Amino acid sequence: MATYATSQFKNGLKLMLDGNPCAIISNEIRKPGKGQASNRVKLKDLITGKTLEKTFKSGESVEAADVMELDMQYLYNDGNEWNFMDPNNFDQFVINDSKMDGVRGYLVEQDRCVVTLWNDNPISVTPPNHVILEVVDTDPGLKGDSAGTGGKPATMNTGVVVQVPLFIGIGEKVKVDTRTNEYTGRA
Amino acid sequence: MALFSKSALEKKANVLAKIRQFFDTQSVLEVQTRSLLDTPVTDVYIDSISLQVNEAIEAKTQYLHTSPELEMKKLLAQGSGDIYQICQVYRDNEQGVQNFNEFTMLEYYRLGFDSHQLMDEVATLINLLGVEGEVCKLSYAQAFEQFAHIDILNSSFATLKTIAKSHQLSTDFDWIEDLQIFLFSALCEPKLAQLPVCFIYDYPAEQSALAKVSAGLARRFELYLLGVEVANGYDELQDAPAYEQIFNRENEKRRRLNKPFLAVDTCFLQQLNQPLPQCAGVAIGIDRLIANIA
Repeated sequence: MATYATSQFKNGLKLMLDGNPCAIISNEIRKPGKGQASNRVKLKDLITGKTLEKTFKSGESVEAADVMELDMQYLYNDGNEWNFMDPNNFDQFVINDSKMDGVRGYLVEQDRCVVTLWNDNPISVTPPNHVILEVVDTDPGLKGDSAGTGGKPATMNTGVVVQVPLFIGIGEKVKVDTRTNEYTGRA
Repeated sequence: MALFSKSALEKKANVLAKIRQFFDTQSVLEVQTRSLLDTPVTDVYIDSISLQVNEAIEAKTQYLHTSPELEMKKLLAQGSGDIYQICQVYRDNEQGVQNFNEFTMLEYYRLGFDSHQLMDEVATLINLLGVEGEVCKLSYAQAFEQFAHIDILNSSFATLKTIAKSHQLSTDFDWIEDLQIFLFSALCEPKLAQLPVCFIYDYPAEQSALAKVSAGLARRFELYLLGVEVANGYDELQDAPAYEQIFNRENEKRRRLNKPFLAVDTCFLQQLNQPLPQCAGVAIGIDRLIANIA
């Protein structure tokens, strides 16, 4: 079993906590006046997405999580499963639909995304920061309006709803920031 | 990049001036004691920085003081009366977000005070310096009860290990006091972060350090500002045998941790042939304090 000592802690390091793989977000060494040093660590649970805080005794060893992040190409989904391919060796990975919450609306076939593997099993997908989506439904636009004067909801070809400027119409392609779900421009 | 910020220099100068003014009105005498010592402190988890001096004459090892406590107590034993000191102190193996190898300390002693009177005075002083917010006072036991639902004074070492395990925390400790301190850091300090000014007092006897123990409690206090430890105060031990017992206990712990066994400051113990007057003393980290002043 691989382990990390607290002296090896740094942002991004993956540890096992409560049976789930977690990534270190911040690591602060604290030394009380009369006691031993400890590490106050903020982590993100890679399964639940929750942020947690934990204190380790300095010098303690913690089990490492076998987590890898791979660039993969999104191929297709059949409703229950989403299929990805490692473009380096053409290995295919299947991710269950239940793990795709918050991601489904940003996956465009052939786009590159980051797939996180834990013990060689995919646990999460991170879409590119920006994707190009097509508007499939929105109220008719009004002439003369420009970005910045409010907006209207538009449904994209992937199902996600994004607030767009009034002048955007059905069939147009737009650029969306996947981290904020914001329209950033016409594609 | 500028080497210093003028406003930060001015802020610190202003705080130091106000501290001196405060003690002047209280007739507390400012003193300076030596920072190069022949003997390092025996505190188990405080490491002194050593250095070689007089290599051209007769080389010897000296230690930078980690706090002016013992040197100031020599003055108290000789009848100095109320004294304070503002100085740089040095600690090895301390580097982090809140810890540095060198920092500014205010240390002061008040004759006839007990730790509660001293807490009140510290509260007045920091308020005068611009630390704002309601002052909260909790005993160590109350803090554990309120923040972690642990009966800290009546929990055995084995019980505390079980509790630590249930929180998925390390149980690798040789002494109950080390585990108490760790649990406080892990479970109570994050909650203290919401309180602007909080005194924690009456520690378990195992954590007495150089404080008096009465009714099974160490008459010590710590001050937390938004969860950061800023001050540590005691009802001070008065006579030499009491100090010698603590120094030996700390050295015994050092031996078991394979840390260097340190000579006890015999000069200090001799000076205490004349015991300290009854007094309370506190060390305040000035840089951490300033971080809490707007």
